[in-house]
Amino acid sequence: MTEYIELHAASAFSFLEGGSQPEGLVRAAVEQQMPAMALLDRNGVYGAARFHASAKENGVRAHIGAEIAAADMGERLRPPLWLPHCHGVQPVRLPLLCTSRTGYQNLCQLITRFKMREPGKSEGSATLNDFAEFAGGLVCLTGGDEGPLAAALTRGGEEAGRKTVQQLAALFGQNNVYVELQRHGDRAEEWRNQAAMRIAESLRLPIVATNGVRYATQYEREVLDVFTCIRNKTDLECAGRLLQVNSQRQVRCARTMRALFSDVPEAIENTGLLSQRLEFELGDSGYEFPRYDTPTDEPMESYLRKLVAEGIEKRYGPKRNPGLMQKAKKQAARELELITKLGFEGYFLIVWDIIQYCQRNDILVQGRGSAANSVVCYALEITVIDPIEMDLLFERFLNENRSEWPDIDLDLPSGDKREQAIQYVYTRYGQLGAAMTANVITYRGKSAAREVGKALGFDEETLGRLSGLIGQWEWRKKDETIGDNFRHAGFDIGHKRIAKYVELCERMQDLPRHLGQHSGGMVICQGQLNKVVPLERASMPGRSVVQWDKEDCAQLGIIKVDLLGLGMMAVIKDCLDLIPRHYGDAIDLAQLPADDPEVYKTLRAADTVGMFQVESRAQMASIPRNAPTKFYDLVVQVAIIRPGPIVGKIMHPYMRRRQGKEKVTYPVPELEPVLHRTLGVPIFQEQLLRMAMVVGNFSGAEADELRKAVGMRRSLEKMKRLMLKLRDGMTANKIACETQDLIVQSIESFALYGFPESHAASFAMIAYASAYFKVKYLAAFTCAMLNNQPMGFYTPAVLVKDAQRHKLRVRPVDVLASNAECTVVEEEDGTRSLRLGLLYARGLKRRNADALVMERQRGGMFRDVEDLALRVPALNRSDLAQLARIGALNSLPDVGHRRDAIWQIEQVSRPVGPLLRQHEAAGQAAGSPLRMMRNEERLIADYAGTGLTTGPHPMAYQRAELRAMGVLSARELQQQPDGRYVCAAGCVIARQRPGTALGFIFLSMEDETGIANVVIHPDLYERQRVIVTRAKFLKVEGKLQNQDGVVHVKAERLELLEVSAIEVRSHDFH
Amino acid sequence: MERRCGMGARTVIEPLYVCVYVPEFPAQAMLRLRRDLARLPAAVLDGDPPLEQICSVNKLALRLGVAHGMTCAELDCFTGLSVLRRSRVEEHGAREVLLDTAGIFTPRVEVRPMSGCAFAMVLDMTGSSRMFGAVEQVVGSIAAKLQGLQFVVQLAASANFHAAVCVAPSAISAPVILSRGKEAEQLGRLPLAALRLSEQQADTLALWGLKTLAELAALPEVDVVVRLGQEGKRLQLLARGECPHLMVPEEAVFALEERIEFDAPVELLDSLLFVLGPMLDQLILRAQNRALALASVTVKLGLDGGGEHQRTIKPALPVAQREILLKLLHLDLQAHPPPAGVVGVFVSAEPGDRSKVQLGLFAPQLPEPTRLDVTLARIAALVGEECVGRARLGDGHKPDSFTMERFTVPDAKARKNSPNHSVAMRRCRPPVALLMQREGSGLKGFTMRGRRYAVEKAYGPWRKSGQWWSPEVWSHEEWDVCGKANGGETLLCLITHDLLRNHWQLEALYD
Repeated sequence: MTEYIELHAASAFSFLEGGSQPEGLVRAAVEQQMPAMALLDRNGVYGAARFHASAKENGVRAHIGAEIAAADMGERLRPPLWLPHCHGVQPVRLPLLCTSRTGYQNLCQLITRFKMREPGKSEGSATLNDFAEFAGGLVCLTGGDEGPLAAALTRGGEEAGRKTVQQLAALFGQNNVYVELQRHGDRAEEWRNQAAMRIAESLRLPIVATNGVRYATQYEREVLDVFTCIRNKTDLECAGRLLQVNSQRQVRCARTMRALFSDVPEAIENTGLLSQRLEFELGDSGYEFPRYDTPTDEPMESYLRKLVAEGIEKRYGPKRNPGLMQKAKKQAARELELITKLGFEGYFLIVWDIIQYCQRNDILVQGRGSAANSVVCYALEITVIDPIEMDLLFERFLNENRSEWPDIDLDLPSGDKREQAIQYVYTRYGQLGAAMTANVITYRGKSAAREVGKALGFDEETLGRLSGLIGQWEWRKKDETIGDNFRHAGFDIGHKRIAKYVELCERMQDLPRHLGQHSGGMVICQGQLNKVVPLERASMPGRSVVQWDKEDCAQLGIIKVDLLGLGMMAVIKDCLDLIPRHYGDAIDLAQLPADDPEVYKTLRAADTVGMFQVESRAQMASIPRNAPTKFYDLVVQVAIIRPGPIVGKIMHPYMRRRQGKEKVTYPVPELEPVLHRTLGVPIFQEQLLRMAMVVGNFSGAEADELRKAVGMRRSLEKMKRLMLKLRDGMTANKIACETQDLIVQSIESFALYGFPESHAASFAMIAYASAYFKVKYLAAFTCAMLNNQPMGFYTPAVLVKDAQRHKLRVRPVDVLASNAECTVVEEEDGTRSLRLGLLYARGLKRRNADALVMERQRGGMFRDVEDLALRVPALNRSDLAQLARIGALNSLPDVGHRRDAIWQIEQVSRPVGPLLRQHEAAGQAAGSPLRMMRNEERLIADYAGTGLTTGPHPMAYQRAELRAMGVLSARELQQQPDGRYVCAAGCVIARQRPGTALGFIFLSMEDETGIANVVIHPDLYERQRVIVTRAKFLKVEGKLQNQDGVVHVKAERLELLEVSAIEVRSHDFH
Repeated sequence: MERRCGMGARTVIEPLYVCVYVPEFPAQAMLRLRRDLARLPAAVLDGDPPLEQICSVNKLALRLGVAHGMTCAELDCFTGLSVLRRSRVEEHGAREVLLDTAGIFTPRVEVRPMSGCAFAMVLDMTGSSRMFGAVEQVVGSIAAKLQGLQFVVQLAASANFHAAVCVAPSAISAPVILSRGKEAEQLGRLPLAALRLSEQQADTLALWGLKTLAELAALPEVDVVVRLGQEGKRLQLLARGECPHLMVPEEAVFALEERIEFDAPVELLDSLLFVLGPMLDQLILRAQNRALALASVTVKLGLDGGGEHQRTIKPALPVAQREILLKLLHLDLQAHPPPAGVVGVFVSAEPGDRSKVQLGLFAPQLPEPTRLDVTLARIAALVGEECVGRARLGDGHKPDSFTMERFTVPDAKARKNSPNHSVAMRRCRPPVALLMQREGSGLKGFTMRGRRYAVEKAYGPWRKSGQWWSPEVWSHEEWDVCGKANGGETLLCLITHDLLRNHWQLEALYD
């Protein structure tokens, strides 16, 4: 029986021109018993990696190609002029298939050529010259309605069609052009097919049948129609002929296709023959990581050895521990041997090169992730954690059998510095040698709700309401659907139109929308990266991006270096500048005093606002229980507040053991060395690897395979197999069944989310540094935090209040004293305070803030409001009004109070003509008739104008009344006994509904004395949804839980508190 | 000028403006004619279903907790709440009634735009004290008149037009009369929102910390003008109740309407036309007085036993000839006769410019538009109005999707773009139902009009489907068929199969 291969399918990665995921197409191919399929997305191979992976998994051969827009071959077929339609002009697209690796490389280069020719991110199109240059190894089909033949036939009849096909044959070669036939039940198409057959015969070209697939199943035509509307910015009612004429572009089985093409059986036969010609598979892309050119042309291997040897001396010399140094050298030799064997020298040298560049250019950089397990990385100064001292497992980073490349992530300060490092890589490896990895933006709740609504013709207001409803909470009930969200918002989902809307929204989830760029992943290639994967322009100037995301790259063995922006790195960098300048202390990040008791005391008190990784509510709730006293405790602390440990119910045993409430035991005595440091409770991925090796007799590579299998939800089969092997190993080691269950459960729950120990250590290092700076140099730390917003868990308002509670004097914005950024001010009494920067005035542009500061430095202090307005003309009325409103002009002579300044501004911002100027001057002397702002007004102005207040906390004004109502302050709550019924109130600064907390909601409320925590039961939330989600100030009554220094109010009653009309922002739902 | 009347201490303020403020106008407009509902909590919905929102409520509903902006689903939790859909027609009617009632007191009435859904009008009652008495009496009479018409109104009287408008929304419990010369004092207590400020003005004044009109009024005028310009001065005058106003009275609406009631139902069309003739004469005359003609005429026939029968005729050009209009009405009513005897006739007409057609000297002779209208009306009367005009193809895949539009003279350019193709087929209107006999996925034969045809050749199916998102979803297949009857007769035809309803039809015959 003749088989049929679909050679012209497009997935949703033809962005808005295909309705199914590549995996969906493969699934359909499997169902239709199709042995192979070709994916041809529009102008790219965006979906090819996923298509290839899924096909491989399902035993289907994946042919790769693309539909390439051709600039010089005329316009794409459109309905005739006499028919009403709204088709725009588009170039025709040539369907190209790769026969060999050369063909694939040519296709990638072809796409890169025309994509990079564009000045910015855009579709682009190839010229005939491009096709001629890169035609080798490619087979060209004549296409369906998007192709050149259909357009030519309609434009100029059979003669024009013949000429077009001849042109293709001349470009790609007589043997590499197939005349394509598609039958979707359309009369005009059939007319073209008949003409095409005659042309093929006359030119002696083979014919081939395809179905021009745009979706896997007929049902998905609806999604494609919605996509068409989105693409053409119209709605379903107005799209008319743009929509699909019928639902016939699904994956069809051989039997149907044979019946359909019974008059031309060779068209079906040729699909099989052509498929055999397409030898190329994506796994064979010819990727090679770049070599590092050593300065003296010596081999990379010996150069790396030399660098590592030097690094070890440098790192371990000051430690004065010959035993440790010896161990490090031995480990380094072992690592180097493996690195050489796997051919990764170039990789390490390249990362080292980036580190060197950063160090030369004063860019703070630190490696994180599993790289911290490697002493080579430590010696090369890629990481700051000593893996020997911390006894970290190298196999988690690199082992002989690992099928993938090692992964080194570098943390850089967010902003310009990181961009500088990225641009260095571009310059070093060339525009076609390095690029960012892509980030496929998919339709999520909100975007799907909005776009589907538009397609269904909803008006703007309704759209806003609909999309505003979705995705507010991180956590959803098990059975909660998008539909439930709509019902809660007052929509009748029984209504047919709404029901269809909800259904479409759900079907759109996760379908690709467009290509973005990954935040920091860069791929680098030996030779030309554009032969491996097409590159295109990113929307950010100076950036190019590959057509695959980081998972696709990893899966195809393309190595990437993550240059990630970390706000805290920028804060630390700023601290390193500020501390020597204002405190006179020299700070070396690598030589921070270890295990400082004051720092740990602060950590144990959960006084951690602003500190990296340990500031969240969950961290604050657990840190007093774990009571860290040394660095390793902090490493555990960073790792323990993760979804994984909570799922596995392991957090509590560790804490109980830590507090001595539970005996430290081990599932089997053999695991004691593995679990000793974490009191018999597995916490890190490395421990799981070792457990599998110890109890299940796994090799390092097998254990790592197990870790990955558990981590990926899709590899269920693989996991089952490995678990079986683990159990066999445990049985062989005579481990009891119950113990086996316990071990298996730990592995399942941990590997999913667990931190690698090395990663936790890298983060703990930053956490310790941030805690150290906050405790010892509060003014500098707060200043750096405020200058690097937005970052972290709390808003600037909370950071400022916290700093004030720690006795830091925070001075408001002042045009006579503030710089653009916040600054540390040395007071006369020798203390240091913080001055808010002008940029905290909302709406004030940096350019204008800089102009003001420059003018002040140049011409001296401003004499009055008019002087300010005249000397800094860039400040318009609204800037000046904003500055006046927040009190930034109060220090000017002649300004009595904020409204006084506002009154003056209204005049100077409306300058009169020269004729009246003299007259006006006379009337100016009188003071402002406006009255001073009251406290409440001042608070509103502060919050609206800067997002914070340097004056008393809003709650402080109400304290007397609150006390009369029996409301306790946050500090007073700390002193109440466990179980007492209390009443608390405060300004809501954070709301969380973590996925692992069974629907419980955690609120943090702040008052002038500190932060109080509230737990809300799901039932109470259901009853008082609006208050929980909207209230700015809240009064809570309930039982107090005060255990081990962790204080919570378990809310039983909630009440809205009218404290102030200020606009406070809370950190919600994360 | 203010003076005391000789009798008692009744005030006379001159000039005198009385502002009538009707809160929750959409609800009031509907409830005044539904007395049973007026005693219950009621709310009015506005917007397109299913996304309507509450736009207006009555007092009882407000007390129940119903608020503006609530959705249908949110209303479910209120028991005993009557929900009405907003009616612009009834609002228009209520507006007319209010203006009409105001007309009893004075010809000078100005309608003021108000924020929200309220309605407000100001009556210039200057010089009316001899007729209506002192201010209190004037206000009392207006309130009584409107309350009698089931309106809840808030009244304010002042010698200053704007002062009355500013105060009226706050005159909730009783009418407010601003004493002349003391407007500033009495207005001073009102919040700034009483002034209908622009967003920018509201922001600026809030920035200044001003809350009441008194605070605004108290600012030095020169300083305010320097800062806010002339607009600032105007606001201050408004706040002091000193802003002058040039009254622009509502002009009587020019409505071409005639109404007649019969004592007994009229059954015969001729009798009806006998009445319609003079009514048309009146309308034409009134239109001609303004140099206008009638662009359309609507006849609403009140029917015996309730109900209404409405017809509208639209000549190609506005006409002022009674005969033509009467003929068109005659033909229309002949085609669409009223289902019952007629007890009343209401004729309204839209005025239009009198027809001016400049014909080209060498242009071909066109039929006279008015006579063509009569001819078309005759055809329409025969075939139905939706079948007269010219068909315009729709943008969609559905075959035969078209809309009818009025005949227009196609310009030369449009003619050039007309399809340059010819389909030699004859469409069957309506399509002929047939019975299809299938063989696998192919066609074997069919029976049509009792005759059996064997399918010799069939090309297809050509598939089309669409509008899956709406109730008008459709999906069908087409076949080009060569059928042969027993008698040897061959039929080349287009057959469609409606897949959703499983209907087979002969759509067209190929020549």
